[in-house]
Amino acid sequence: MSKLKYTHLLLGLLLGVTAALAAPQYDLIICANVNKGYVIGSKIVTTNGLFRLTETREWKHFGANDTTLTGAAVDPRDPSVIYTSALNGLWIPLKGSPTGRMANSWDLTEGRDVALDPNAPDTIYLAHTEGVAVSTDKGLTLEHRNHGLPARGRFAETIEVDRTKAGRVFVGCEKGVFLTDDAGLNWRQVLPTEAQVNDIQQSALDADFWMAVTDEQGAWASHDGGLTWMQVTGLPSEHALYNIAFDPTNAKRIVVGSWTYGVQTSEDGGKTWTTRNEGLPENPRAWRVGVNPNTGRLYASVFQETLYHSDDFGRTWQMDTLADGSLINRFVSVPRINP
Amino acid sequence: MKPKTIFIGILISAVCSALSLHAQPAFEGPPPSREVLQSADQRNAAYAARINEVLDWRIGLAKPETLDMATIAMLLVRNQDIELCNQRVIEMMKEPGTGPFWMFPSTIVAFAGRDKLSPEAQASIRNAWRTERQLRGDTENHWVMYHTSMYLMSELYPNEPAVTWSDGKSSEENLAETRGWLIDWMNLTTTIGQGEYDPTHYIGEYAIPMAMLATWAKDPEMKQRGHIMLDWIFAELANQTLEGVLRGPNSRTDDTSVTERWNSLASFFSWILFGNTPPTAGYGGWGNYFAVLAPNYQVPEVIYRIATDRQQDIYQHDHARTRRIWRYSDEHMPPIYKTQYLRHDYAVGSHQGRLSDPIQGHVWDVTWREDDPRGKFPTMFSVHAYSSGKALQMFFATYPEPMPKGIYREGKPSYDAPDKVVGTSPYEKVFQDHDTVVALYDIPAGTRFEQVNGFFSKDLKHVTEDKSGWIFAQGGNAYLAYRSLTPYHWEPHLNYRQIPSDAGYAFERDDTGSKILVSNSLKNGTIVQAASADEFADFAAFQVAIKALPLKFKLEPLPTVSMTTLRGKEITFTYGEAPVVDGVAVDYSKWKLFEGTHLNAELGSRKLTITHGRLQRVLDFNTLTIADTVTPGK
Repeated sequence: MSKLKYTHLLLGLLLGVTAALAAPQYDLIICANVNKGYVIGSKIVTTNGLFRLTETREWKHFGANDTTLTGAAVDPRDPSVIYTSALNGLWIPLKGSPTGRMANSWDLTEGRDVALDPNAPDTIYLAHTEGVAVSTDKGLTLEHRNHGLPARGRFAETIEVDRTKAGRVFVGCEKGVFLTDDAGLNWRQVLPTEAQVNDIQQSALDADFWMAVTDEQGAWASHDGGLTWMQVTGLPSEHALYNIAFDPTNAKRIVVGSWTYGVQTSEDGGKTWTTRNEGLPENPRAWRVGVNPNTGRLYASVFQETLYHSDDFGRTWQMDTLADGSLINRFVSVPRINP
Repeated sequence: MKPKTIFIGILISAVCSALSLHAQPAFEGPPPSREVLQSADQRNAAYAARINEVLDWRIGLAKPETLDMATIAMLLVRNQDIELCNQRVIEMMKEPGTGPFWMFPSTIVAFAGRDKLSPEAQASIRNAWRTERQLRGDTENHWVMYHTSMYLMSELYPNEPAVTWSDGKSSEENLAETRGWLIDWMNLTTTIGQGEYDPTHYIGEYAIPMAMLATWAKDPEMKQRGHIMLDWIFAELANQTLEGVLRGPNSRTDDTSVTERWNSLASFFSWILFGNTPPTAGYGGWGNYFAVLAPNYQVPEVIYRIATDRQQDIYQHDHARTRRIWRYSDEHMPPIYKTQYLRHDYAVGSHQGRLSDPIQGHVWDVTWREDDPRGKFPTMFSVHAYSSGKALQMFFATYPEPMPKGIYREGKPSYDAPDKVVGTSPYEKVFQDHDTVVALYDIPAGTRFEQVNGFFSKDLKHVTEDKSGWIFAQGGNAYLAYRSLTPYHWEPHLNYRQIPSDAGYAFERDDTGSKILVSNSLKNGTIVQAASADEFADFAAFQVAIKALPLKFKLEPLPTVSMTTLRGKEITFTYGEAPVVDGVAVDYSKWKLFEGTHLNAELGSRKLTITHGRLQRVLDFNTLTIADTVTPGK
């Protein structure tokens, strides 16, 4: 290991210790599968669903065992209330039930992402294979809200609520990024694409800064609250980019995950990008990247391998404690409620 | 004979076969006689004997410590070893499965045991349905199994609150929910056709749930719907099999069944329903569950005769639909136009060529009759070896990269292999008139595999590469002529043999003795013509007849064939354009849901008329009636 790497390692360690001494402000939850070799119908016993990072940096499973979770949204008023998107659609908590309640009917399948409006926390948004469904009563009822989305081309992979304004939501579809200002009653296209939009994220520290990544058209950024978008230079675009994570501890740090390109990081707010795959398995297959909101620790979930973490934003990687064969579909930061 | 009589037949047969508990007589023995049984009593006795054969075999294998759901269900219907069933059910329900392939077996056990299992054992099943979240799946057959199982369990346990069900909905909510989906699916199927049409294996995933509904639904409407749907499914099976063997096109097949045509679950259903082909090993696996339910279903004579009593050629033009397309397409479930031509010695089937099911679809073939189809590869066809992550994204919620390779580990190994012989392509267009097939290809440069693969069976005889460009061969009692429009070379056909693995499926490949004709031209085409050997003086006369037929083709700008067929039809077919037959363009928009020799239905009608000779059965989902008529004899 080079001297430079030792320096970064020590620095990372120091930062980690410092962060650990402070009381965490967030809980970190993941939607994950530990089910290597599982296919529908197989008898392999697996542990899947929601896991929470404990104070001892162990991932502890909680809730229903579901191999198909794609997203989670937490009620800021009560962090035990968690909505999840999944193969079946939308799952909501149900008192007395170990499994929860499937909020949708038979006419909706394959929830791809879920979001909750922090300024209207009874309102839940579900991205799914045929657009968007919205509940305004904590999931008790759910209705399709696709007006303004194209009849074909509205496969919705990602949905993100603007934390600054109630009812302002972005959805990433096959044909672009669409915006609503009225909780999904009307959508308008703000970024046209010819390939699936895989993820949209709002910077944790700059509410006007948004990024989106796509299957074949690279990454896009907006600095005016998502009204106008510019292609991000310095990131490849031939193959799919899967997701984006902003570092809540550092406004300049952004990471993008990709099967083909692995982990791509920026430490200058997206102006320049660096490939950070050294120390990860060959053919990086970065299924999902995330950042610990308390410590700035970078995570990369590698397909058919396991979870890796880095305390120097990708310069060096270590295998995490999550079991071998794990796959993470979503990292979710949950603000802790002050007592 | 009514179901009660079939049960008595089973009882008698059980006593007779008690000495051969481990045998699979129909699988291991000679092929069936294929004699058409003329009386209902004969047919029902034979049906009962076949059901009993399955139960004898499976129960004979049973060991107390490994008793599985199928065997438990069989023991319950035979009222045998009930205490053992109680213990095993309680043990198994401690670790319930997750999804439709667990739901339907546990539902069958719950119903078969509702008056026999102990209260504790029944409670263990009920509790598993409370504690373990169940996946609906992502495929139509998953949803049929899921909704049928959930419907029946909610009927079995009515008026129970939401917290007692793993989907968090009350019995009444579940009934409404699942009934809604099932009726919607039946409406789709009976108006624009099946999505998973003519599957070689997945027929079980439809037939078993429908038999469950027909057997156990309390609601008479749902019970009747299950019954009519069973007739509908089996009428299609009967009409598209050659002595019980299902041929193409198929919405879904696999690397084995696409060549060894008999080796599929469909053959189990032909065997148990019609007795006209041997069952597959272990009675098809899922077939064991159907055997539990089979005594409650009676094969209508008209369907039985379509399968077994072939007094005329069958010519059908039918309508189906693709798997649901979520993205990268202007259409959600575009139509599939199927053509079927079945004769005594061979059958030809196709659809128009397009992405249907991208992984397991099979577009066309000529398949010939074999007296004993076991181990035979009695089929000829070509495919474009298409593999695309983006095409998979059309049908599945996935990223472009992982699935092409990942499918291998899910038991579908050939998807991303250049020598594949299963799968559909957007660059293949097909036209069939009777026993002539023209398949044209226009493959964009840079497509992952730039090759067309033609399958030449090890069971062909007299394979002759004629200097005219035709390849002649004989399969069974059928003469075949294959023309590749471009140069080709030969490669061995390698099958996939599953080997043990702790990370999904794994395979090794074996040379089957068959060959693949590989043609690497991007603009390409295949012509196949077939005839019965009985139509010609000898093989040479067939070759002379084929070579004498007018044939012109060109590849630029688009592949085009103009030819006269053996049946005297003048065909012009250009890639991407409507085929023209005797000067008239084929208008697919006018195709009915079923139109042909035995099955007829208008598009959108929900009403199927099944005929054979003097027999007619009308399945009507509008009135939920089944009407049989017999035309008076001359």
